[in-house]
Amino acid sequence: MDAIATEGLTKHYGLPRWWRGGSARFAPIRALDDLTIAVHAGEIFGFLGPNGSGKSTAIRLFLGFIHPTAGRAHVLGQDVSTAGAALRGRIGYLPGGIALYDSLTGTQLLDYLGAFYARPPLLRDSLVERLDLSGRDLGRPIRDYSRGMRQKIGIVQALQHDPELAILDEPSEGLDPLMQRAFYAILDERKAAGRTVFFSSHVLSEVERVCDRVAIIRDGRLVALESVGALLARRRRHVEARLDAPAPALAAALAALPGVSAFEARDDRLAFGLDGDVAPLLRLLEGAPLADLTIEPARLEDAFLELYDEPAP
Amino acid sequence: MSGILFRRTWAAQRVRLLLVMLALAVWGFLLPVVYATFGKEIGTLVQSGAFANVFDVLSRFTGGDVFSIRGTVALGLVHPIALALVAIQVIGFAAAAVAGERQRGTLEVLLARPLERRVLYATLLAATVLFAALTEAAVLGGIVAGALLFGVAGDLRAIDIALCWLNAVALFGTLGAISLAASVSFDRLGPAMGIALGVTLVGYAVEFLGTLWPDAAWLRPYSPFRYFQPTRILAGTFELGDLLVLGAIFAAAVAWAAWVFPRRDLAAPS
Repeated sequence: MDAIATEGLTKHYGLPRWWRGGSARFAPIRALDDLTIAVHAGEIFGFLGPNGSGKSTAIRLFLGFIHPTAGRAHVLGQDVSTAGAALRGRIGYLPGGIALYDSLTGTQLLDYLGAFYARPPLLRDSLVERLDLSGRDLGRPIRDYSRGMRQKIGIVQALQHDPELAILDEPSEGLDPLMQRAFYAILDERKAAGRTVFFSSHVLSEVERVCDRVAIIRDGRLVALESVGALLARRRRHVEARLDAPAPALAAALAALPGVSAFEARDDRLAFGLDGDVAPLLRLLEGAPLADLTIEPARLEDAFLELYDEPAP
Repeated sequence: MSGILFRRTWAAQRVRLLLVMLALAVWGFLLPVVYATFGKEIGTLVQSGAFANVFDVLSRFTGGDVFSIRGTVALGLVHPIALALVAIQVIGFAAAAVAGERQRGTLEVLLARPLERRVLYATLLAATVLFAALTEAAVLGGIVAGALLFGVAGDLRAIDIALCWLNAVALFGTLGAISLAASVSFDRLGPAMGIALGVTLVGYAVEFLGTLWPDAAWLRPYSPFRYFQPTRILAGTFELGDLLVLGAIFAAAVAWAAWVFPRRDLAAPS
């Protein structure tokens, strides 16, 4: 069973056509258009896109905060438009830029929000310890918390009841590098326990680090949906080779290699981009007078920017 | 109804509620003191004919006075000070209950729990009615305590006091339900509070004008305050129709909120 499955999920805001009478000025805002994705149970799924691309709209549709204009969404096997509160009892949610009850202490907040669930907050102590929230921190009113502390409390409230599906919107925002590392370890543990994590982020390095698959949306439309590995494998690597001596024949052979682009040869230094499989390159370099070879791995950031450079779908 | 949410609402409101109740109880307590101290003199002044028109006009509007214990009880309930204090707690709470949480962004955190929107609404409605009941009990409790302490409670009947309380709770329960309906209909506190205060102030102004200005009397049936008549109740004439009208407005506000709130989009907090 997929943890999340959508089919043509669409959300437009604005006045209905009969009301605006064809005026372009009041044309609807297409927040999400025809989104069809499947998030497999037990995976960490990254949902990427810049501000205003429709990430939060999709998340809000999954949680039933807003209603689709068209299409359907099933979460944990239930139709979100009819499932209601019971479904949300199986989900943990961290909103982006979370707002909390400032007058409560950390402990009071976690007790309050946790009390709505049938499941006890089994993971609270472990999460609090991993995220370095001391008893003193939890005893202070939330109004005194820094942004990072608020985010940590937000993560604990989302995961403390061991939800089957965690929906996290920009979860590492405000966390320092140490806490980010602790958070990634928590995500790995969620996955190892068979739980699903759906997570939106701007931080492409963290998505690359923790996610199994990613969906990239642009202007409300899905532009890519595949595993991080597959996405990277199809992207350009930057290759730089330094030779013991100039080798014009090798340079010519490299320039003619399929997938090579932006080839530059300067004295004993060769630099080029490489798309696709790396094996033919390595075969060609076998026995060459190499002093040094650097193959920079493809980065999700490049893939992301490349998809955003393409003309709009 | 959600017990967890209700307990949290109570905890968040209890200090303000207690302060408002204390102020209302003190207000109520002072009125019999004034009656016991100056009531006879003021009554004599009225009977003498001096300022008769002024007293007549004022008593026509408020339905209350301080030269009879019944008039004192009515004055305690309908005086703008008492109404404003009750409105701070009941209408202020109801108007901010959902729209305020939307504006702060905490509603999203709450509704991500296994909590139906209708249950959230029902819990907040119950809290609104409870606050109306407690604040009105405070003012009446203060009046009765003052009357007993100063030995002027002779004319008061417990049943009339209870019916006055019921009528007042019905009025503020209805204004609270309207405020809560506005609160679930908007994403920002400003419009919700504007509608809540607008209905209350316009209703009060209409009743004020209608009682003092015969040409505007036809407007009175459109004001919720028209159906709050402690003077009549204390005179032994309880009209069930007043409660029924307020009940019908309450039911309409609840029906609106119960229909709109689960269906509306809760867009991302700005």
